Amino acid sequence: MSETPDDAAADGAMIAESPLPSNDRGPATIGWDFSLMLATVALLGFLGLQSLVGTLYTWWAYRSIPGWEQTGYEGFVLAMNAVAAPVVIALVVVMGLCVPKRLFSRTMLVGVSAGMLAVGAAGAVITESLATGLAVYLALSGLIQVAVVVLTLAGAGGLAYITEGRLAKAGSGLLHLGFIVFALVMVALQKSPLMMPAFMLSGVLLTGGSAMSFYARQTRGALHVHGA
Amino acid sequence: MLTPVSISTALDAARATLASVGGVLDVVILAACAAVLVVAAVPQLRVHLKTSLWVLLGVLSVGELVLVWFHARLWQICQLVDPITGQASGSFAVPLWIESEKLYVWALLVAVIAVGIRRHASELRPFLAVLAVALAAGAVLFGHPFTEPLPDFFALYESYLSAWGSGDTIMGYQVFQRAESSRLYFYNTWYMWVHPPLLFVSYGAFVASFVATLLMIVRRRSSYEETAYRWARFGYIPLTLGMVVGMPWAIIAWSGEAWWWTGKVNMSLMMWVLYTAYLHSRLYLRRRGMWRVVAALAVLSFLALVLTYVTTYVVPGAHSVA
Repeated sequence: MSETPDDAAADGAMIAESPLPSNDRGPATIGWDFSLMLATVALLGFLGLQSLVGTLYTWWAYRSIPGWEQTGYEGFVLAMNAVAAPVVIALVVVMGLCVPKRLFSRTMLVGVSAGMLAVGAAGAVITESLATGLAVYLALSGLIQVAVVVLTLAGAGGLAYITEGRLAKAGSGLLHLGFIVFALVMVALQKSPLMMPAFMLSGVLLTGGSAMSFYARQTRGALHVHGA
Repeated sequence: MLTPVSISTALDAARATLASVGGVLDVVILAACAAVLVVAAVPQLRVHLKTSLWVLLGVLSVGELVLVWFHARLWQICQLVDPITGQASGSFAVPLWIESEKLYVWALLVAVIAVGIRRHASELRPFLAVLAVALAAGAVLFGHPFTEPLPDFFALYESYLSAWGSGDTIMGYQVFQRAESSRLYFYNTWYMWVHPPLLFVSYGAFVASFVATLLMIVRRRSSYEETAYRWARFGYIPLTLGMVVGMPWAIIAWSGEAWWWTGKVNMSLMMWVLYTAYLHSRLYLRRRGMWRVVAALAVLSFLALVLTYVTTYVVPGAHSVA
């Protein structure tokens, strides 16, 4: 049970050593795919920063404002929701552009995303409720995502697409669908009898999709430049 | 017939048995920790590190089995009886990873990973061994899972027994209601049996990922990055599932309480979005200089993990003990 030759062999057999890419290697241009990934990371980073600021504020508020939970908490939640809502919308928009990009043309994706945003905005204006507009937008995004997953599993996109890993791509679509369902529950279904099954569905989609995306991907070295 | 005195007597006997067995286990665990530290520190002995970790894992597993026995006894003994009607409402199914047992489960999980790790085992294992030792020693010296088990649970349950035995029906009923609420919405809920262990598994995997990331930063080899990624993706799945299943429970159990956007929830969200960002950015690892971004996100993600843990004890809120 000590360090056995098997361990050393396992180390050696599985590990192909190579230096990390240095500054003089690799493409320097910022393409569409890479831009989407940067946007995703930036939006996630913003949400992370907002969470940190929110934590620091609650820490300060609990210590400095007597009875803050009764007097200031509700306003704090409204402010945090208001800041987060456009970021979450932007994330879903980026998803809408990112996941199905192997199936549809870029122009079509941008057009569909803009159309969905317009419908969501119209829903918010008509009902005078940002939450309703957001729910409409998320529901439309969910429908598009379902179509993407079905098309992916059906093998749409031709041979070039299939060689990138159909299961991995379907996993990516499923986990993004899970994120949309999750956001939809938080926005619109918290008091609905559908809350628990919808949460469970999002959990299954997120974890199942992640597992497929991570483990079904064809590993040609460490280089994957698709599916942000 | 159940009475406060009969329950207290049975409870004291179970705790005495746990303490007597656990007192010995404490010493054996600390001895195993010392052995692992010595083996990890002396290069000539390091060939036996895996063996010493197996010993530590074995001892910790025996301790865990003892704790399982203790929790089974709690299930049998700790009944709640309505002091007005005399009807028993049920028993406490106390999860195995709360209060004084949290660090212990962490130690057990990290020991499992330290024993089972294969890629870069010779380099990662010493770090994980030291962490497992720190957690195990911390669990024994500060958590006291055998000699002072579950202090919050016993404070609650003993206050209930005391109120029930006092003969004051109104006070007894009030304390019963509080205990019953904790039983239904905390101790016995399915969420408490699923959410924490999923997160512990993910945290253990992220520790391995973090160590591999540090090695990548120092040695600038892509194989360390690959190892870090493999552990991160392994940890990301239970992290995501654990957080998602936590949400409906929070909405129901903390209805009307301050929980959304409070410290622990915020930091958990921050950790999740940073690991998501890391896994996304990693898709473009081969771009010029991108490994630095990937490494920075991996380190930040782990810092968020540590802060999430610390926040529980520092920032007040529903999901906090501050």
